[in-house]
Amino acid sequence: MSSFSSPHFMYLFALKSGKKKLAYGQSPADALEILRIRLSEQEMSEIVADQFIKINQRDLQQYVGELG
Amino acid sequence: MTFTWPWFKPAKPQPASKILWLDLGDLGDLVNPSGPHEQWQDHGLGLLRTILHQNGVQTDLASTRAVTSWEQLARQIKGYDMLLMNVRSYTFPPAYKAAQIFKELNPAGLIVAGGMHATVAPDEMLAIPEFDRICQGPGEGIIVDLVKDPLAYPRLVQGVGAKSMAEWPMIDRTLWPQPQGWRNKRRWHWKWPLEPACGWGPGPVATLITSRVCPWQCVFCNENSYIPNMGRKPVDQVIDELNFLDRHYGVGSVVIHDSMFFQNPTWLKEWIEKYPRKTKRWTYWAAGRADTVRQWPDLFEALIRETNWRTISIGFESGSDRMLRLLNKECTEEDNYFAIDLVNRIGDDLEAKGEQPPKFWSNIMLGIPGEQPEDAFKTMRMLKQMKRVFPSIAFYAPYPGSALGNQLIAEGKSLMSKENYHRFPDDEKVKGVNYQFYRELLAGKYDAEINEGVDAAMHGAELYQGALVKA
Repeated sequence: MSSFSSPHFMYLFALKSGKKKLAYGQSPADALEILRIRLSEQEMSEIVADQFIKINQRDLQQYVGELG
Repeated sequence: MTFTWPWFKPAKPQPASKILWLDLGDLGDLVNPSGPHEQWQDHGLGLLRTILHQNGVQTDLASTRAVTSWEQLARQIKGYDMLLMNVRSYTFPPAYKAAQIFKELNPAGLIVAGGMHATVAPDEMLAIPEFDRICQGPGEGIIVDLVKDPLAYPRLVQGVGAKSMAEWPMIDRTLWPQPQGWRNKRRWHWKWPLEPACGWGPGPVATLITSRVCPWQCVFCNENSYIPNMGRKPVDQVIDELNFLDRHYGVGSVVIHDSMFFQNPTWLKEWIEKYPRKTKRWTYWAAGRADTVRQWPDLFEALIRETNWRTISIGFESGSDRMLRLLNKECTEEDNYFAIDLVNRIGDDLEAKGEQPPKFWSNIMLGIPGEQPEDAFKTMRMLKQMKRVFPSIAFYAPYPGSALGNQLIAEGKSLMSKENYHRFPDDEKVKGVNYQFYRELLAGKYDAEINEGVDAAMHGAELYQGALVKA
């Protein structure tokens, strides 16, 4: 899983609240699994798993106000 | 020759300029520091003051670190027309306190502030009415014009940087603040303008930067989001700078403060060719990553053996793949152990030959949201496998600007605020983390559990007892 063999990407998942959740991983599914490490089941249930965009990490600051 | 009575106090030197640069840090850090790291100098301040002076804009210098009270600082900053500050997140509290004092004493004075906090948290900077002009991003291409005519710019200014560090002038290190008091200088053997030894190599220490921007995406840092890519300083330029410093001040060892020194193999190969032959081959501290060590093991070993890389800073962070994924480290437990085994082996070989072995500066993070006790035990087991190590253990801190930090702040889980961005090791940083567990862990309470998973521990609990450092 090193950066040379398995690079990671950043994703913004839609939340039911209208806000967005930042996640990262080798794929959207992997990113959700990583979120599951620290979020509760209730917090995970707020995520709309099939609504996401992939973002460049340099663009992340544009979305800070939308995070929730 | 002028003689004075022993008790005659010389008059306070007249200011050379109406523009004051304020070096930031905790009060007293240059008077009675608790350790050597509080005394590290600000390279941003050094570079920008050098550029200003070389372009005919003289500045005076004061430092929150060189005083022990705000009243003492106030006496030093009264009477200036402009105050300049390089503000990092952990110096934001003293920055805005100093700004308030400056404005009370100099109501018509202007304050121009830049630095990393302006880039990662502009809203917090803009909320401070005392900051008249706030510069985001690199400042070397704009500082002269901005200081000469700040009112020609909007309140939030976009900085202009060089395309390559080759364009940077060499920092005039005499523009850095001085240690205060002969006892302080003697205690740390501080030969200013070089820096004091901190255990990584003999003093005087020359600190420098050869590259900017770590291009990886660790979510506790993420500086790649904010700092534009920049050409690395040419090897010859680095060598010339070190030799200049040695001729003028005498260099004992070097700290290469790059976020990521071990990148760009072409540059590193040139470094291997030239550094041992064109300098006194001082030992140095520099940073790498476990996965790049595994990707380029021969290059890594050559740097250690041939260029005297003796303090190897690696952000191991955790010994648990779960946590490494959460931190987006893009390194694995296996990468970490590869690097540890390699450095242990090289160290044993060098020691057998009577040479100084390399030692890790091992960055370790505890209190990561989602971390379970077994994750922390795996981290301590990993640390115990390092034969020669300076452990640098800190609680995870959700700094604004970092990807995970921004997300935790948005979730309402951060315990940090603009009043306490200070990097104190004991501070609790994130809601829901059981800090008592970690205090007990670091006190050795769980050493039996940790040692269960270790075949041959190099160290006991004394390795990490009381080892929390500032994040």
